Amino acid sequence: MAHKSFKKILVANRGEIAVRIINACRLLDIPTLAVFSSADKNSVHVLAADSAAEIGPPAPRESYLNIEKIIETALAHNCDAIHPGYGFLAENPLFPEACEKAGIVFIGPSAEAMRLLGNKIQSRIKMATAGVPIIPGMKTAGANLEMFEKAAYEAGYPILIKAAAGGGGKGMRVVHRKEDLQSSVEGAMREAKNAFGDDTVYLEKYIENPRHIEFQVLGDSHGNTIHLFERECSIQRRHQKIIEETPSTALTPALRAQMGAAAVRVATAAGYRNAGTVEFLLDKNGGFYFLEMNTRLQVEHPITEMTTSVDIVVEQIRIAAGEKISDYVLKATQRGHAIECRIYAEDAENNFLPSSGDILFYEEPAGPGIRVDSGIKSGSVVGVDYDPILAKLIVYAPSRELAISKMINALKDYKILGIKTARRFMIDVLNHSEFKAGRTYTDFIDKNMSDRNVDMVPAVELAAAVTSAAILRKPQATPSIQREKALSPWQTIGPWEIGMRITK
Amino acid sequence: MINQFRHKEETIETKTNLGASGVEVTVGENKYLVTEVSTGKYNVLLDGVKKSVYCIVKNEKSYLDIDGLLLELAIPSEDGTSASAAGGHAGEKDKIFAPMPGKIVKLLVKEGEKVAEKQPMVIVEAMKMENQVNSPSAGTVKKINFKDGDQVGTEIPIIELDI
Repeated sequence: MAHKSFKKILVANRGEIAVRIINACRLLDIPTLAVFSSADKNSVHVLAADSAAEIGPPAPRESYLNIEKIIETALAHNCDAIHPGYGFLAENPLFPEACEKAGIVFIGPSAEAMRLLGNKIQSRIKMATAGVPIIPGMKTAGANLEMFEKAAYEAGYPILIKAAAGGGGKGMRVVHRKEDLQSSVEGAMREAKNAFGDDTVYLEKYIENPRHIEFQVLGDSHGNTIHLFERECSIQRRHQKIIEETPSTALTPALRAQMGAAAVRVATAAGYRNAGTVEFLLDKNGGFYFLEMNTRLQVEHPITEMTTSVDIVVEQIRIAAGEKISDYVLKATQRGHAIECRIYAEDAENNFLPSSGDILFYEEPAGPGIRVDSGIKSGSVVGVDYDPILAKLIVYAPSRELAISKMINALKDYKILGIKTARRFMIDVLNHSEFKAGRTYTDFIDKNMSDRNVDMVPAVELAAAVTSAAILRKPQATPSIQREKALSPWQTIGPWEIGMRITK
Repeated sequence: MINQFRHKEETIETKTNLGASGVEVTVGENKYLVTEVSTGKYNVLLDGVKKSVYCIVKNEKSYLDIDGLLLELAIPSEDGTSASAAGGHAGEKDKIFAPMPGKIVKLLVKEGEKVAEKQPMVIVEAMKMENQVNSPSAGTVKKINFKDGDQVGTEIPIIELDI
């Protein structure tokens, strides 16, 4: 596809999502510039890009969140567009504004749409006016404890405290009793302040045991706003998704059409362009409520790509360049079943605490219908500066049943040693009779996995046997990890091809 | 050759022989035949059943993957001292450590304060997530080595208790 919409795209992110975006740029024949903090010198995303530039020290504030530095780097390297990925600056309206001022195209929605939808309180009111159902709760931000107490009393416990600027489960607390309200509000405010730089929190009725269903939407500047069907994201721990699938077992064709139409209504009401995700809660009676719209590429976008054959990142770039949504995308249908498992550096046996360390061994599963979006390799260092997501494992199969068994095998074949990952835990979720029956609600893990007991005795014995052999064969079995001080030529050289024509 | 490993609080002893077709390891009543297929990848035979196990040894620690189940064993060094890493600070009931390197968001207790077992002691933030650390036992707060906002590792205890 000879496509020259942009001269060069700066990818303002790291890890698996930066690699994902770089791959889309390659399909469109657009050169890429990766940016990295000093902690990420040898990261996979730096190696994947055509060129790379260091933008600061490890602390996100001084590197991946530093708007000024990123814009300056884009201009210095002749980039005419920036893709923000997810997290970091992806939902900060100051970023598209700064891009516009510098004459750079921001691959995402307008600052205006971002500001409206980024504020969960404002967007709730706006969508209610547009005729989209919302959850009962505060109509303004909570200014003092009395306001929270009053709103909690009116909505009735349990209630949910949420960050107005929120997303990803950060700054979120469920409160069951009045006594816990104050400490939960304080905790949510601190977490919101750290994650989003804004400690505004509000309260709404906590819908018990819902499903979390979201719709992928796309809008272009030619008057097209469409949805690409749903993703079911009910399997969560610490209010964060870990397993997503599509289609959802809970949607009938009629409900799907109804929710899809509501999603398009949300995007249209916000004047939304580019890719976004409209999140809903679905209660047991088939009632659905608008939760929020995420104004960015979503972590779990690959499952939609697997079942619709749409390359969402390619469409994002085309839309940002002023083009119309591709014809095949306008006509996209759902077929088969896809599941994603998020691979975080976390310890499932210890309350999903993040885990850091060196990746000592790395091997990805492969085969038809298996996709790995990864930002790590053997020798990678998983530090404590960034979000612990390492990779995503995605499978596609003709049916849900086949997709589940393909995922279980792929998780077994995915080998990551040196840090903790929850692969075994996710295998146990997928094997659970309730999951197989499609009874996936947001309390799935608390309800079905808390009494999970792994018989460790045979495994520990086996582990001791293998370790005995390993130290016998290799008394010095200590793979040294090389951490290069400087960039290799492969990271600094521009794009080139064997037999490339000399044009200058 | 006799080896001892530690998994959490437990010690496992193995007896190793270099056989003709691989390494024969006896653990308890079971006899395993272990062969290395490629770096880090081992085939294990037990009672005629084959299993694939992945294992990397580094810094007196063995990291293993058995069908997605992860284990870490501590390997005692030559001089007989046992590596503490795999057991973490699990045995130390009078100290509160950060679960991982991070930043102290809020200390919830003061020096001299009486605390109950499982009482929340400190909130540590790492990777943008807040983690509450509870007291491993009842006692009195003897010493607090850090203050709010400090960066902490996992080596020095945040709080020391008299129990």
